[in-house]
Amino acid sequence: MKIDIEKLKGIVGKENVSDDIVDLYVYASDASVHQSLPGVIVRPRTIEHVQKIMRYADKNKIPVVPRGAGSGTSGHTVPIDGGIILDMKQMNRILAIRPEDMLVKVEPGVVDDDLNRALKPLGLFYPPAPASSRIATIGGEIAANASGVRSVKYGATRDYVYGMKVVMANGDLVNLGSNTRVHSSGYQLERLIVGSEGTLGVVVEATMGIRPLPKFRCLAVANFDKLEDAGNAISEIISSGCEPSMLELMDNIGIVAVNKAMDLGLPDVAAIIMFEADGNVKEAVDFEIEKMKKICKKHNGTGVKKSYDLAERTKLFSGRKKLFAALSRYKEGIICTDLADDMGVPNSKIAETAAKIHEIAKKNNVIMAVYGHCGSGVIHTKIMLDTKKKSQWKDAERVIEELYDYIDSVGGVTSAEHGIGLSKAPPWKKARPDMIPVMRKVKKALDPNNILNPHKIMDAPDDWVGATNLRYKVG
Amino acid sequence: MGIIGKIFYLKEKGKFKRSKKWEGELDKCIRCGYCYELCPLFKSNNWESDTPRGKLLLVYGMITGEIEPTQEIVEKIFQCFYCKNCSDNCSAGVPVTDILSDARADLIEQGFEVEGTIVKIDEDLCSVCGVCVPLCKYEALSIEPDGKDKEKIVVDKVECRGCGLCVSACPSGAITQKEGCEVTLPELHEKVKEIIKQNEKKLVVFACNWSMFPGMQLSESPILVKTQYGIIVSMCSGRVAPELVLNAFEEGAWGVMVAGCPPEECDHDGNYKTRRRLVLLKNTLKELNIDPKRIKLEWFSTGESAKLQNTINDFVKELEKMGPINKMEVSKKIGG
Repeated sequence: MKIDIEKLKGIVGKENVSDDIVDLYVYASDASVHQSLPGVIVRPRTIEHVQKIMRYADKNKIPVVPRGAGSGTSGHTVPIDGGIILDMKQMNRILAIRPEDMLVKVEPGVVDDDLNRALKPLGLFYPPAPASSRIATIGGEIAANASGVRSVKYGATRDYVYGMKVVMANGDLVNLGSNTRVHSSGYQLERLIVGSEGTLGVVVEATMGIRPLPKFRCLAVANFDKLEDAGNAISEIISSGCEPSMLELMDNIGIVAVNKAMDLGLPDVAAIIMFEADGNVKEAVDFEIEKMKKICKKHNGTGVKKSYDLAERTKLFSGRKKLFAALSRYKEGIICTDLADDMGVPNSKIAETAAKIHEIAKKNNVIMAVYGHCGSGVIHTKIMLDTKKKSQWKDAERVIEELYDYIDSVGGVTSAEHGIGLSKAPPWKKARPDMIPVMRKVKKALDPNNILNPHKIMDAPDDWVGATNLRYKVG
Repeated sequence: MGIIGKIFYLKEKGKFKRSKKWEGELDKCIRCGYCYELCPLFKSNNWESDTPRGKLLLVYGMITGEIEPTQEIVEKIFQCFYCKNCSDNCSAGVPVTDILSDARADLIEQGFEVEGTIVKIDEDLCSVCGVCVPLCKYEALSIEPDGKDKEKIVVDKVECRGCGLCVSACPSGAITQKEGCEVTLPELHEKVKEIIKQNEKKLVVFACNWSMFPGMQLSESPILVKTQYGIIVSMCSGRVAPELVLNAFEEGAWGVMVAGCPPEECDHDGNYKTRRRLVLLKNTLKELNIDPKRIKLEWFSTGESAKLQNTINDFVKELEKMGPINKMEVSKKIGG
């Protein structure tokens, strides 16, 4: 598999191709624990560029891994087989904002926050917004079916995909979907691309739905002395018909880490819940907040603070927004690793799952924070361990096995919003053996030469620790 | 898979005495990449190796012996303006620029010749007047003996922050920076032209990278929202040389605003120089029959994006009252 660098330079220009170690080494990583060198990085700027690159790669059976910001947590963009990294960040134009049709047309490299900055003056917004929205690209969000804090009310990326242009493995360009919120015109192939992690095609243009910005947003925080109470409060808020626009949990480990990293002075309690309501009628927003406040109180929630003010809301929420990286500061000598990071469980199992996570962590000598968009069933954790010790990686492997067995037993899913990639593939494969042959047939039909992000999801290695080099130096 | 894509481990280690101590901090970096948003170099070059995360990865690779330092890697490590937007906003608390400084010292010790964003002195043009020496808050410039009776200006490549203050202050034009990071005078001039010619903007705003960049991220809409102004991130406000302001008027701008850090908050003490310089420039404008009110200097702290927006809006309104600069009068005056 010799890559013809000159040929690629001929397609996109020499300034957009690099096979220098300075770039190869950087593009070998994302936010996961994995690391593997690509052969070359290519930055296309047009649909034709992508088509030509794919035709060349398909003919020569060279792996191609499309990449947005590289903020994925499970190794989706780590090129396990080397090959071409297709850095899509140069295709970053917002092609059209059509308020009359309530949609936007964007290139895949548009950054989520940039899109929202363009929409805001028009009183509109694009809701899915993962925590990484400041750098995450729309293409990457489609590939992972990203969701975020507001997904409890507004849904995930898949709910906003109206249509898209996709370059297939052989270089063919296809138009999928529609310009409308619904359609019933053939297979919903645009939905098939959502969550496909770059294994089925390269998204080169997306038509996404947008929504009007609500006039009022009110954010409230409640404290709990028991994690279980907080979990039960969340379950009841959802099952009692409240309509939060955000419903977040943060446990004591998260609170301690955020206070250490940012000195926010959050109360040192077992857990806090952040809940938000939005709408165009203030009384209706108040009604929702009061209803949720009552449920929190019923479950021993105390010290409820609420605010409509943007600056105060931003401050209240900043701890949650930056929790992911702040976890590294929880304890000296302990490193926060991106493992077991985003399981989804049915609403009634929130409290039980939270307790189970702490139990499994303790049993296996690691630390795990419990937080996340629990209102939409997403529980985030991270495994915090001493990465230098080989035995701790064995501990992590046991944690992952035990935890995902439990998640499966309560009807949950391996990943709610980050995707499977490499590190979550073994538990996912164990939980969904029936899906694997069907997915392989789809993959074979669309990418017969297996060049698009190969050996991911259903085809990823069974041993996630040995799948690639680990980014950490063990021993 | 297997061997393909795996990284070759180098045997030789121990060349990175200073950087080695940061290995624990580099492990703490979760590699979320949120620092991309705040990095001016990434904004101009768009390669991930230009981001703070990318540079930390390279340092990690070198100190663990996974990669060998090459000229290309060293160049990347020396491309940084020390605005510290990354380290100030890193929620994992990784001291990005401290790590880079130690890596720089290690690499210099290994004998690498570098350009990066470091200033360069053209000894043929330099008269060793020494104006630049006290300007630099980081003491990166010094007068050193050069042979028996001569002296020369020497740049400390580890301490130089690349703010460019000395570049705009050098009376002989002997100090330069490498092109490609959108901070040299010709590059900034090009940006001025682009803004005025392509978008027919009336106001050019030079915003300081240190104070305004993160705030600007919150306020600026990238496209489709038509504005009468264009913002150029110009490193320290002290970097805005008088000729750049005049260039803007020459290209057709109705007004120019310089947004710098408030006094006492400037990392380089460049804002005082800007203030003095703009007073002089206003006098020159009077001579050229251009209303000095067309130049505005304002101070903004990090995060004051709303204040910036309001100031810009008010200034645009003032400029609309003044109208465009009457070119005939100007040329007559200059000619006469």
